[in-house]
Amino acid sequence: MTQMNMVQAINDGLRHEMRRDPRVIVLGEDVGKVGGVFRVTQGLWDEFGDDRVVDTPLSEGGIVGTAIGMALYGLLPVPEIQFSDFIYPAYDQIVSELAKLRWRSGGEYPAKMVLRTPVGGGIRGGLYHSQSPESLFIHVAGLKVVCPSNPHDAKGLLLASIRDPDPVLFFEPKRIYRASKGEVPEGDYTVPLGKAAVIRPGKDVTVLAWGAMLYEAIAAADEARKHGVECEIVDLRTLWPVDIETVIESVEKTGRVVVVHEAPKTCGFGAELIALVNEKAFLHLEAPPARVCGYDTPFPYTLEMDYLPLAHRILPVVLATAKY
Amino acid sequence: MQTLASSPSAPVGFLREDGSVDAAHAAVLSDELAVALYEHMVLTRAVDGRLVELQREGAIASHASARGEEAAIVGAAAAMHDHDWIFPSSRELGAALWRGMPLVAYAHHAFGTARDPGRGRNAPDPPFWKAARVASVSPLTGTQIPHAVGAAWAARIEKADVAALVFFGEGATSSGDFHNGLNFAGVTRAPVVAVCRNNGWATSTPASRQTGSVGFAIKAVAYGLRGVRVDGADVVAVLSVVREARARAAAGLGGTLIEAVVPRTEGTGPAEATDPVARTRRHLETRGLWDAAREQRLAAEVHADVERAIAEAAAAEKPARETMFDDVYAELPWHLKEQRGPAR
Repeated sequence: MTQMNMVQAINDGLRHEMRRDPRVIVLGEDVGKVGGVFRVTQGLWDEFGDDRVVDTPLSEGGIVGTAIGMALYGLLPVPEIQFSDFIYPAYDQIVSELAKLRWRSGGEYPAKMVLRTPVGGGIRGGLYHSQSPESLFIHVAGLKVVCPSNPHDAKGLLLASIRDPDPVLFFEPKRIYRASKGEVPEGDYTVPLGKAAVIRPGKDVTVLAWGAMLYEAIAAADEARKHGVECEIVDLRTLWPVDIETVIESVEKTGRVVVVHEAPKTCGFGAELIALVNEKAFLHLEAPPARVCGYDTPFPYTLEMDYLPLAHRILPVVLATAKY
Repeated sequence: MQTLASSPSAPVGFLREDGSVDAAHAAVLSDELAVALYEHMVLTRAVDGRLVELQREGAIASHASARGEEAAIVGAAAAMHDHDWIFPSSRELGAALWRGMPLVAYAHHAFGTARDPGRGRNAPDPPFWKAARVASVSPLTGTQIPHAVGAAWAARIEKADVAALVFFGEGATSSGDFHNGLNFAGVTRAPVVAVCRNNGWATSTPASRQTGSVGFAIKAVAYGLRGVRVDGADVVAVLSVVREARARAAAGLGGTLIEAVVPRTEGTGPAEATDPVARTRRHLETRGLWDAAREQRLAAEVHADVERAIAEAAAAEKPARETMFDDVYAELPWHLKEQRGPAR
């Protein structure tokens, strides 16, 4: 066990897998010598060289498009999109090509890759360095979507994602890249995809969260406890396919659910989660399911802390849901 | 100051009007290869013609005809090595057949049957054929160009003697992925051969509405690639130009963008003088490899093969409803199990 932050844990995971599997190729903007703008790939170029850690032209569509060709050939690309706000030029390649290759080829030409990209706000990044586009990918058949909340899960989920047969969007919550620290096992281990973690059991309200917002949910739950409300906090970890059993089991126990996410409220992943809860646990519900989300506005620079669903916005919703 | 030419360079061409070539170019293809190329071009045209009819009858949903482009497609495919990748666009049926895709497998694809390699999921065309590294591409414009570059780049990383051939029409040069792909090809020195079939028209839009540049081959220069214009109805020239591009790519000299100028066809097909099939036949005749009897025999064989394949595919079972849920992921996740319902 070593104390690491998320940047170090993901770096350790990449290095581990590149040593283990010569097919793994890291490519992206500035990922080579400089180690990425967040230094997640630092030192990999020194160890693995130009052919396996590649500074690419500044073109997300080109990065994902060529990575698909590499994957068809038999390599295992792990491209980095520098900010998830920059992923839209690659959207066609991800949605029309990557996600559909296995299906349209009758299973003969799967294109396996893990697309890593920093996600979310709270770092004074403004409109174009803060977005949370996860639901745009959850909606697309054929993709898996992962978002870790701590160093242990980040490394374990990354290794599981690289070894999973399907393409994975791996969203790294950049606000807690360095703020989240913890024990990380050395060497090999995986955190399975599709398994949520109940990080705090509680009997009154289920709070579903992931990534950086998990810590806001925890802070709100700490406050709620002072009001006599015990939250059960579920870190989804894999957003899609979501761990429906854990979610429903928790809601059946508490009868109340609050979803927290940074992305805009309308058609955000919370909408799907609540629809699933209604379909599968309606008769257990004691209160209307609630959402605490980013607003349906673009992401603001100066007012980012007003935009984010921070603990002070979560708390009253949790209390109202508990007392409904 | 260097000024750009106001008209594109004349395309490379070897076949004369009477079907002969210079002695210097006769060695480009052996007798055996010349006959095989011609047979595949005839087969491609026969399938094309029949599928256009079937599409008009409503038996199949769509078909992208390669009429007039057979030499560019079959000739380019034949210039590559067997283990090279081919990334088709919508009209490269002939390349897949050249690589050994059985005609009947293609017919199953056209009819979307349970025996379609793509399991009836993609409207025709293009076909893919995994056994011969003919890739699965979408009908979207130009998206396969970066795939080909990526596969070629991977081969370079792996130090394998493998190159990639990618086809597209001139309309695709307007796409972002044309730029993305060729830009990456120039930077990575990926061994890729990009064949742009230019018939002057993308659906209803003339080439002058696709680009303000003088032709398409010249676009290679700014990417650090080589650009070549070739008479795409001249199978000897196509074979020669693509082979050279493949050899240069494999030697680490980078990729080539080949503009294959092909005749535009409407309904009846190209005029005899510009028709790649007729020109290839005349070439065989000048070499003493072909006559009316052989032509008749080939036509009968091709007709029988095409009808047999179509009859089989037309009568074949369609995929079962449950198969729709397969292959979205490697394993069926819970939500698709729910949507599929209990397996019958």
